Amino acid sequence: MAKLGIKTRALLKSPWVFHVATGSCNNCDIEILDVLTPRFDVERFGILLAPSIRHADVLLITGAGSRKSMERVMRLYEMAPKPCLVVCIGECAMSRGIFMPSYNMPKPIDHYLPVDAYIPGCPPKPEAIIAGIVKLIEKKKGGK
Amino acid sequence: MTREELVSDLKERFKSDIIDFYDRSPTRIYIEIKPESLVKVASYIFKDLKARFNIASALDAKTHIEILYHFTLEYLRVLVSLRVKLNRDRPKIDSLAPVFKGANWIEREMNELLGIDFTGHPNLKRLLLPESWPEGVYPLRADYKEWDKNAVRDRGV
Repeated sequence: MAKLGIKTRALLKSPWVFHVATGSCNNCDIEILDVLTPRFDVERFGILLAPSIRHADVLLITGAGSRKSMERVMRLYEMAPKPCLVVCIGECAMSRGIFMPSYNMPKPIDHYLPVDAYIPGCPPKPEAIIAGIVKLIEKKKGGK
Repeated sequence: MTREELVSDLKERFKSDIIDFYDRSPTRIYIEIKPESLVKVASYIFKDLKARFNIASALDAKTHIEILYHFTLEYLRVLVSLRVKLNRDRPKIDSLAPVFKGANWIEREMNELLGIDFTGHPNLKRLLLPESWPEGVYPLRADYKEWDKNAVRDRGV
């Protein structure tokens, strides 16, 4: 295991996630809530939904990123304690999906923020979300 | 009041205002009216017939701009849609917001997205578009062109 700073080590032991929807259709948000329910129960891995961005380690972004909401997301990212990981969930957050030519979605989210992991799907299954988070943690532990 | 009485009442009362009366189905009636008599007809349907104002919808039909005001008469199971056609160069119509509050926000939205001027509206400012959006650019017009030089229109792969 590569040498990690104390902050990253503590973050990966129990990543607290903050969920922000940037104009999504709510399907990805429902799948994220499914991940937190007893059926999938990611709390056994220490993953908790943070009530405030100031407590969060991971920013989960869904939706295509409309002009108005991206201003808010940028402000949230600035408020988050660093290091902060960013995960894009769903097709819209990756490439805007069918909203690519929309007048209100000028740029994909990774043009605004450094994104650490993408989870594809419309919406992604809860298993895919868990697999994505686990891969992200493995990647960070590997020091890459 | 039955459905037949409603149809004959509207036809009789607004004889000079109606351009076209289209009785589409048992539950849908489309009435095309002159733009200047909108407030009169809508007030009658809303206040005297006790209809519910559902929503208004507008579209740019290239030759004209069209607004549909949808009213439901639940006790008859009928949806009455008032259709007005406006001049595309200077779309302008009287506001319904002073008559019923439900028209306030939808008129603001039609104003910013299609550039329709609602005269007599109490608070005609932007509803949904961001502050950085330029004045006089209406995204739902048929001739809308991309104005943002920084926009990226590809999938990034």
